[in-house]
Amino acid sequence: MLQELIQVFIEQFDFFIHAFFTHIKISFISVYFASVLGIGLGLWISKHKKYAQGVISAVSLLYTIPSIALLGFLISISGIGNTTAIIALTLYGLLPMVRSTYTGLLEVDPALIEAARGMGSDEKQILKNVKIPLAFPFIFSAFRNMTTMTIALAGIASFVGAGGLGVAIYRGITTNNVMMIYIGSILVAALAILTDGCLQLLETYFITYRKKGLAFIRYSFRFAWIVVVLVLFPYEYHSNVIKIAGKPTTEGYILAELVSITIEEHTDLKVKLTHGIGGGTGNIHPAMVKGDFDIYSDYTGTIWQVVLKEEEPYNERRFYELNTKYLMEYGLMFKGLYGFNNTYGLAVHKEIADRYQLKTYSDLAKFSNQLIFGAEYDFYQREDGFNALKDAYHFQFKKVVDLDNGLKYQAMANKQIDVMTIFTTDGMLTSSDVVVLEDDLMFYPSYLAGSVIRQATLEEYPQLEDVLLLLENRISDQEMAQMNYEVEVLNKKPSEVAYAFLKEKGLLKK
Amino acid sequence: MSAIVKFEHVSKDYQKKTIIEDFDLEIEEGSFLVIIGSSGSGKTTIMKMINGLVLPSKGNVYVQGKDVLSQDLIALRRSIGYAIQGNVLFPHLTIKENIAYVLNLLKKDQKEIDEVVLKSLRLLNLPEDVLHRYPSQLSGGQNQRVNIARALSNQPRILLMDEPFGALDAIVKYQLQRDLKKMHQELKNTIVFITHDIHEALKLATHILVMDQGKIQQYATVKEIVEKPANAFVAQLLNMACKEIV
Ligand SMILES: Nc1ncnc2c1ncn2[C@@H]1O[C@H](COP(=O)(O)OP(=O)(O)OP(=O)(O)O)[C@@H](O)[C@H]1O
Ligand SMILES: [Mg+2]
Repeated sequence: MLQELIQVFIEQFDFFIHAFFTHIKISFISVYFASVLGIGLGLWISKHKKYAQGVISAVSLLYTIPSIALLGFLISISGIGNTTAIIALTLYGLLPMVRSTYTGLLEVDPALIEAARGMGSDEKQILKNVKIPLAFPFIFSAFRNMTTMTIALAGIASFVGAGGLGVAIYRGITTNNVMMIYIGSILVAALAILTDGCLQLLETYFITYRKKGLAFIRYSFRFAWIVVVLVLFPYEYHSNVIKIAGKPTTEGYILAELVSITIEEHTDLKVKLTHGIGGGTGNIHPAMVKGDFDIYSDYTGTIWQVVLKEEEPYNERRFYELNTKYLMEYGLMFKGLYGFNNTYGLAVHKEIADRYQLKTYSDLAKFSNQLIFGAEYDFYQREDGFNALKDAYHFQFKKVVDLDNGLKYQAMANKQIDVMTIFTTDGMLTSSDVVVLEDDLMFYPSYLAGSVIRQATLEEYPQLEDVLLLLENRISDQEMAQMNYEVEVLNKKPSEVAYAFLKEKGLLKK
Repeated sequence: MSAIVKFEHVSKDYQKKTIIEDFDLEIEEGSFLVIIGSSGSGKTTIMKMINGLVLPSKGNVYVQGKDVLSQDLIALRRSIGYAIQGNVLFPHLTIKENIAYVLNLLKKDQKEIDEVVLKSLRLLNLPEDVLHRYPSQLSGGQNQRVNIARALSNQPRILLMDEPFGALDAIVKYQLQRDLKKMHQELKNTIVFITHDIHEALKLATHILVMDQGKIQQYATVKEIVEKPANAFVAQLLNMACKEIV
């Protein structure tokens, strides 16, 4: 296993190193802001005591907000990307800094303050010469803890489309790549331990040479504005860059790569690709409307239900209606449907299909009383789940079992079940002896995948229209399933798989 | 001789409770005034009114002829030496930095600071090698010597000391008292010194102020007080001293 770990690490060295340094960047900037703001707030409330309780309660409250909730909330304000992650991490770092500064200052021996005042120090000098230096060790140890915490927590940054090692971990989780998860986690831990070690050395040094520590704090405050500028600088508007978002699924990774490679091949535009945006459509859609992203891939049925909030079931005869509404209400539109349909489906073991000559769900209904049906637990709970399906096709299975999603294919291979629910582009379909049946009564809504683009982007770069249409009707269900399989089971990189596919289809220039 | 400090009809209230009422006092330049009295009788309050750490509710305090209320308090405090009880050296500063604290506030140049620091070491019988150590690396007696040296650094005409030897053992205390007395004779400054210890008062003072419940019981030279205690309270205080000796 160690060997495999090292091999994956070396193969994707560039990716990991980039993630590593982005992780450092995000967490260190957050640590910096949390320190400057936290110490500043702590100083302020130690002077204005009547606000102290209020401020401490407020930052404690921030600290208790679950990170997913805080990020979700921040996305609606500061959008997707590093900025949101930095804001969230800064907010979490405030509590330890505010509290340690406040109590540190409060606990300075009053006799020392009295002596300083009696010798003619003014309030500012008391703070500078006595209170802060004496509170310093206390504040520094809180700073150390906060830094370690922030580095660990920065893993969640990928949820809002920011970079860092969380990207590796999250990609590992969504594309079923365990090595990726291991390496990401190991690097986060290594960074945290290393940083803490350095800070420990610095702490010992500063306790002996307290004045150097204080000078360090002073400079940190003085140069705060430079850091603000440096942080904001990369976010200024770049022209000729198309920002593409990817959903946090294996398919999402591959499709985002397909679109971005195609654009880079056929135009002079540069592409900035942000993978694995947490929350999927719910978070990408607002970012698209705002203009944080220009293009992403989504499914017709999803847009119909989640974005347009339509209640009637969707089918492709309503595509024109969907796309018009989408454009009128949000300035977004599908440009080029890829051809495959990622919807729910039913699959049977190949032997069963052969034995009973099964092609459609209606064929299946005829023999259902001889077959065992398997699905994950919530399929039986959902309103549009098992019961609705049973009524539509008059299924009468011999036996019905519920089992974990990940175990379904295994159960079918062992012939414990004969029929199961699937997604029509599941990677596992490729390697298994199963046959996907046709939903001849069109029970399931259609989820055709396609590129979504902002109208404004299309107006600015009209050349994109033809490029996106290159992908129209190019990918079949089987081909998509095959690509998912290569990433999920063979652990290939999504970009490699996408590149190979485009090459095979003759969509690359060279 | 003229009064260097003068209290005129001074009262002090805390939250409607009167601590000091209609208090008058003149301290002669060059005297060594020891204030002694029961706990809570207002000794510290009176002392802090001299350097403006406590301001009178009524009446006026004059220092070197000028009303405290009409002065820049920060400048006033820098010109008055102040040494209080306890571990009050700044633990994060070296002995040298502690002694030079006021001089650094006044932004004196380094050469002058070095001179003053060396002089005060000699005056208070401290070895030179303590300069770059920290307070935690010195004995309790040495700490108190530094405390006094720090109060003296700006050559104040007035030195305020609030129970400076309170927590020291008898031998160390004895040496410090001896050195302080000698220093006073040399510098001829005005010292206001608070103590609970009547022996200490008798040994150091030129004048003694006996306080009880915010009121002056007697204010006189040492000789007068010993010979003619003004009332039973003072007599009892002196009596205690005699009994303990016996
Ligand atoms: N800041 C304050 N607020 C309210 N009351 C105070 C304050 N400072 C002093 N007092 C009260 O004033 C009275 C005199 O206090 P002061 O410190 O002058 O006494 P003291 O003679 O120095 O006593 P001790 O010998 O115990 O040091 C005491 O009753 C004390 O409780
Ligand atoms: Mg007192």
